[in-house]
Amino acid sequence: MKRFVYINDDSCRYSYCDNRISNTKYSLWNFLPKNLWEQFRRFMNQYFLLIACLQLWSRITPVSPATTWGPLIIIFIVSASKEAWDDYNRYLSDKKANERKIWLVKDGIHRQIKAQEIHVGDVVWLHENDEIPCDLVLIGTSDPQGICYVETAALDGETDLKTRIIPTISANLSVEQLGKVKGVVECPNPDNDIRRFDANMRLFLPIIDNEKCPLTINNTLLQSCYLRYTEWACGVAVYTGNETKSGMSRGAAEPKLTAADAIIDKLTIAIFMFQIVVVLVLGYFGNAWKYTQGLKQWYLMYPVEGEAPWYDFSIIPLRFELLCSIMIPISIKVTLDLAKGVYAKFIDWDEQMFDWETNTPAHSANTAISEDLGHVEYILSDKTGTLTENKMILKRCCISGTLYGNDNGDALNDVRLVNAISSNDPDVIKFLLVMALCNTVVPIKSNDDTVSYKAQSQDEEALVNAAANLNMMLISKDSSTAEICFNGSKFRYELLDILEFTSDRKRMSVVVKEGQTGKILLLSKGADEALLPLACPGQQIQKYLEAVEMYSQLGLRTLCLGWHDLKESEYKEWSKNFQEASCSLDNREFKIAEVCHSLERDLHILGFTAIEDCLQDGVPETIKLLRNAGINVWMLTGDKQNTAIQIGLLCNLITSEPNSQLLSISGKTEEDILRSLERALLIMKNTSETKDLAFVLDGWALEVILKHSKESFTRLAMLSKTAICCRMTPLQKAQLVAILKSAGYLTLAIGDGGNDVRMIQEANIGVGISGREGLQAARAADYSIGKFKFLKRLILIHGRYSYNRTAFISQYSFYKSLLICFIQILFAFLSGLSGTSLFNSISLMAYNVFYTSLPVMTIIFDKDISETTVMQYPQILLHSQAGRLLNPTTFCGWFGCSLYHALVIFFITICAYSDEKSEMQELSMVALSGCIWLQAFVVTMDTNSFTYPQILLIWGNFVAFYMINLILSAIPSLQLYTIMFHLCSQPSYWISMALTVAVGMGPVVAFRYFKNLYQPSAINILQQIEQSNGSIQTSGNLESARANLLNLLTGSRKNRDSYYHPLLSDSAESARTD
Amino acid sequence: MRLTRTACRTGVFIETLSSPGTAMVPANGDTAGPSSSQDDPAATMKKRNRPQYHPFTQQQLPACKPILAPQTVIPVLLFVGIVFILIGLGCIAASNRVVEVVYQYETSCIPGYMLDNKVAYIQNPSIDKTCTRILKVPKDMKQPIYIYYQLDKFYQNHRRYVKSRNDKQLINPKETNNTQYCKPEATEHGSPVVPCGLVAWSLFNDTYSFARGNKALRVHKRGISWRSEREHIFGKQVFPRNFQKGALIGGGALDPRIPLSKQEDLIVWMRTAALPTFRKLYGRIQVDLRAGELITVTMQNNYNTYSFGGKKALVLSTAGVLGGKNSFLGRGYVIVGLACLLLALLLTMLCLVFPLKEEHLALRYPLPRPAR
Repeated sequence: MKRFVYINDDSCRYSYCDNRISNTKYSLWNFLPKNLWEQFRRFMNQYFLLIACLQLWSRITPVSPATTWGPLIIIFIVSASKEAWDDYNRYLSDKKANERKIWLVKDGIHRQIKAQEIHVGDVVWLHENDEIPCDLVLIGTSDPQGICYVETAALDGETDLKTRIIPTISANLSVEQLGKVKGVVECPNPDNDIRRFDANMRLFLPIIDNEKCPLTINNTLLQSCYLRYTEWACGVAVYTGNETKSGMSRGAAEPKLTAADAIIDKLTIAIFMFQIVVVLVLGYFGNAWKYTQGLKQWYLMYPVEGEAPWYDFSIIPLRFELLCSIMIPISIKVTLDLAKGVYAKFIDWDEQMFDWETNTPAHSANTAISEDLGHVEYILSDKTGTLTENKMILKRCCISGTLYGNDNGDALNDVRLVNAISSNDPDVIKFLLVMALCNTVVPIKSNDDTVSYKAQSQDEEALVNAAANLNMMLISKDSSTAEICFNGSKFRYELLDILEFTSDRKRMSVVVKEGQTGKILLLSKGADEALLPLACPGQQIQKYLEAVEMYSQLGLRTLCLGWHDLKESEYKEWSKNFQEASCSLDNREFKIAEVCHSLERDLHILGFTAIEDCLQDGVPETIKLLRNAGINVWMLTGDKQNTAIQIGLLCNLITSEPNSQLLSISGKTEEDILRSLERALLIMKNTSETKDLAFVLDGWALEVILKHSKESFTRLAMLSKTAICCRMTPLQKAQLVAILKSAGYLTLAIGDGGNDVRMIQEANIGVGISGREGLQAARAADYSIGKFKFLKRLILIHGRYSYNRTAFISQYSFYKSLLICFIQILFAFLSGLSGTSLFNSISLMAYNVFYTSLPVMTIIFDKDISETTVMQYPQILLHSQAGRLLNPTTFCGWFGCSLYHALVIFFITICAYSDEKSEMQELSMVALSGCIWLQAFVVTMDTNSFTYPQILLIWGNFVAFYMINLILSAIPSLQLYTIMFHLCSQPSYWISMALTVAVGMGPVVAFRYFKNLYQPSAINILQQIEQSNGSIQTSGNLESARANLLNLLTGSRKNRDSYYHPLLSDSAESARTD
Repeated sequence: MRLTRTACRTGVFIETLSSPGTAMVPANGDTAGPSSSQDDPAATMKKRNRPQYHPFTQQQLPACKPILAPQTVIPVLLFVGIVFILIGLGCIAASNRVVEVVYQYETSCIPGYMLDNKVAYIQNPSIDKTCTRILKVPKDMKQPIYIYYQLDKFYQNHRRYVKSRNDKQLINPKETNNTQYCKPEATEHGSPVVPCGLVAWSLFNDTYSFARGNKALRVHKRGISWRSEREHIFGKQVFPRNFQKGALIGGGALDPRIPLSKQEDLIVWMRTAALPTFRKLYGRIQVDLRAGELITVTMQNNYNTYSFGGKKALVLSTAGVLGGKNSFLGRGYVIVGLACLLLALLLTMLCLVFPLKEEHLALRYPLPRPAR
């Protein structure tokens, strides 16, 4: 459980790994087997390997084994080399990191070694801007106060500087002593928690007395961070190599499989079954033909009965298996991967998703799941920084009962407040003092004497800035003192202790000693419900509660400020307890909270700050659009209920229409909560369609519900289009995602901060906003965008198009494979069911690799309806959401189409090329040309908008087909020799082609025409509306039609639950059922 | 387009791209783009981050969106219908101009007493298999008149058969010993058969000779194969060896003194047919024949189609534009053409009976959706 690190002691250094980092997945010798093993875990690859192996048996192979081995090897080489390349790059970066020169101090001597040679217990000497090579416990810095700054962006994505302090025990060590120091660090075994390090350190005699000193994460320098603004720092290596915190938290994310992929896999298996049936039937009849007819055909010279090997009966079925193996297109994975790569590029390239304010383009880190964007059913959104700007400004405040900033909405310019300050109102001054001191903000002085602040919390930054604007300026701050400039005069404060903010405590405090008077003060700030109960009795709380209520109604974030006088003795006693608690190795957080609580009592409440976090640009429109598109939007926030509801109202999440209702699930006891849940569920079930219901609940309620009544909640979640969940912990956010996911919905989680990472990773699609809270969320996410408003484009445009395109590409891949396979099967009936391949090996291979894979790519540029129309009629997303374009039904259509086309091609070919023209190679080329012609027209038919690359690809492919075959026809050693020359000079060839196209496409066109006109799908109608140039959009009919549509769309949304009644909007006012 | 593209390259964003209906400008233009490049790092940052505008990358290429509307579909149908009927009539005419005489002889050339035992008849080498018949020319036949033999139920496309040959052996005298794939007709007493394999072994060996009145009509046997085959597939230096020397005699024998490239019957035979019924060129008659003339055909009925009940026929045919007599394409075209015209008529009627107005469309918009 524990690790003892002896500083500067060689005896234990080899019991732990050295500092060699390795992120590589493979090594030189295991690459091939491991990579092959990974690739062969896919059903399709196994299938193709089996086919390829069978093809090696020349007795059964209809064509040269190269037809399967070629593409298979190419596909394998492509994916293996991609893996190898990635891994090689990882190896190179590892190597670079491992061989970096690092200064080490050993027995007072500085030496330079490679980073990989660092061992646990070594003392590492770092200079400014060095990257930290392993996890260190800080023991000395150049700063006299013993602090240093690190940038942790590489670790947690947060760009602000963090302060690190040396442990008190080593504070007085001189530079010489640091080189020779001996001691022991007692720390837990390596883990991946970058916010926690509960350890102890003891330094050995003779340097200092044998005192145990607690260590926290603030005493560490973690691997892959950078040392900033500090001349030098030195530390003891405690975790090295892959055992560091950053090393432990690395891990390959599981690849996500899209809904479309899942359907494709299912279809593949269905086709495989079909193939088995075909093979068995043909095999049976093939054997039957052989024994009834084949033996009479003397020129076949079948061996006499008895001479045949025992496996003879299986030869013909196996031949058919090989012949039919092309039913499953070998190219589909490559084609789809390529297409998905292009979708991802389109997202990266999209200028309309480029955020001009922060200069961030949209980025898709995961290239494989674009089409799932078109399937999204639930969006779970964070509030702060995602829906809002996370640009905090103090707008109002309430100091000892007086409301400031009520008139002009800006407290900083409120004359009364300015007057109060200049008249030295003690409460106001104390209020400002808390604002300026009770925080973890780092003031940074620039050259021209202006001070800027670096803060981990946006609220704190807002408060410090506001205080500075009100003449209470925090000038400098180090680990023990802070300097404040008020009205031109400077005040020093000794910072005795910081009682840190945790999400459980929901408050933080500092203990300061006034420099002049020596008075000790406890300054606290925190959430109202965390601080108000601690107020000393007799204060007028009512007034504050009203203020908080009002501020919440306005969507402002409130913080309560308070203070408390401490006696010297009282503080001393407490300080000892605090020290003890901080030193404890287990349950430290809880113990500290206990101790803190003992100090934070009898507070004098000073007042409230109200910070505005304005909505991001375009958020209400986006949410409205997404909801119209049939997507349910939930807001999950750590903020308090009222603020959350107000933000929800502001951003269209909930509306205050009369027939809407907001159900609150809350209660004082567990029974209350569960009862309120049941009631909400009952109301949801029995509400008529026109009513729009939403529910709101908080973290505690969720905890209770998940413990006792998860099923009811799942049912409620499925019924509810809108929900506001407040006071959520990161884990609970992820739990909510998991609940929706387990109910079979496709979820998208969007957030911007570290607290959203878990939910982003849990959801089917994670979207990160590259915002102010660092890049942590954006890094964990599949997609990162600059603003929430780009989400509508990401889903409605990119997601929808990607889905449409993938639907076509995958089904078309099956169509073309089935087409050629059906022709082979039909030919079997004319070749004595012997398993002869009509097509030669080259044609078969080229058919899959060249002739048909290029035109299908055209669909990557296709748009069924324009972006404007999609934005105008977002309901159309339902088509992709419900998988309208890729499902067993549509697939049956394609299946039938390929069967019909195969029949057309085959019969026209054998009728036109009968008698004296019935020559194997010619006939096969006629049939192949028929396939190429038809598939070119099929692609054309399914293309909705023709742009020049599309036209180029479709018809260029056509030309390429003839060019390739004419070239092949000039090579005497090929079977194709001269065939194409013969054919191209025959008028009957061209006439047959035209007939094939007319007969093949005629019914398809007619069917489409009738469907378009008399049974149009919503897409068809929108296309026609687009065509008629929008004249129709003004007609009154359409308005009612649209309203009607909305109802129908929502009405048919989910039929999974028989008792489901759709819900519409809701109101916050009428809410509060309890 | 051009303007915007150049503008983007110089780094100034101009709010002019108005491809139909889409606003290319980000809603928030207040940052003024890279033009405010006072601090260089920021400017380069912007340049690096910002996607380059190109209609391709923005999926904004000009596009044409055809739609299946009556006003386009009906004229196209009419046009296609008329063109197809015309081509079809042309094809039928071309096919009708071809004069074809087919004489099926596999039964009629067997003497009556052997009819019950055709296989024994054909397998008995001692019986003279000459068979003389008189054919009447139905119409004038212009030279060249092609002589074909037609086999039925003969699976030259059978897998076992079609693979049983070695193309390397056929062209290269050095590959004589290469009899790969040729089994079971590969070697004879240990030495290779040339040409090996079932295809060559089963060479068709009926012969025909023709006479008009008393004067024999010359059958030109040269040039019945493709030149390319003679030159690049069958070797000039490859001579038949051990051919038909085995216990089982398949079909015709070959003169071992003549190289394969000149054995045109073999060349034609080895270009395997794709269908079980096929015709192969036997020779040409370079004389015009009149209608009503009587042609005496003397046939050597040697080839065994009796084991599997296949038919044999002799075909005399003139050459047409589209090859032999085949009315399929012509009929197909006429039928498709007529179907198109009919469809056009039907669509027109439908349009007249149920006119599609725009309101109609709008009302239909909210379609009931089937359950998922």
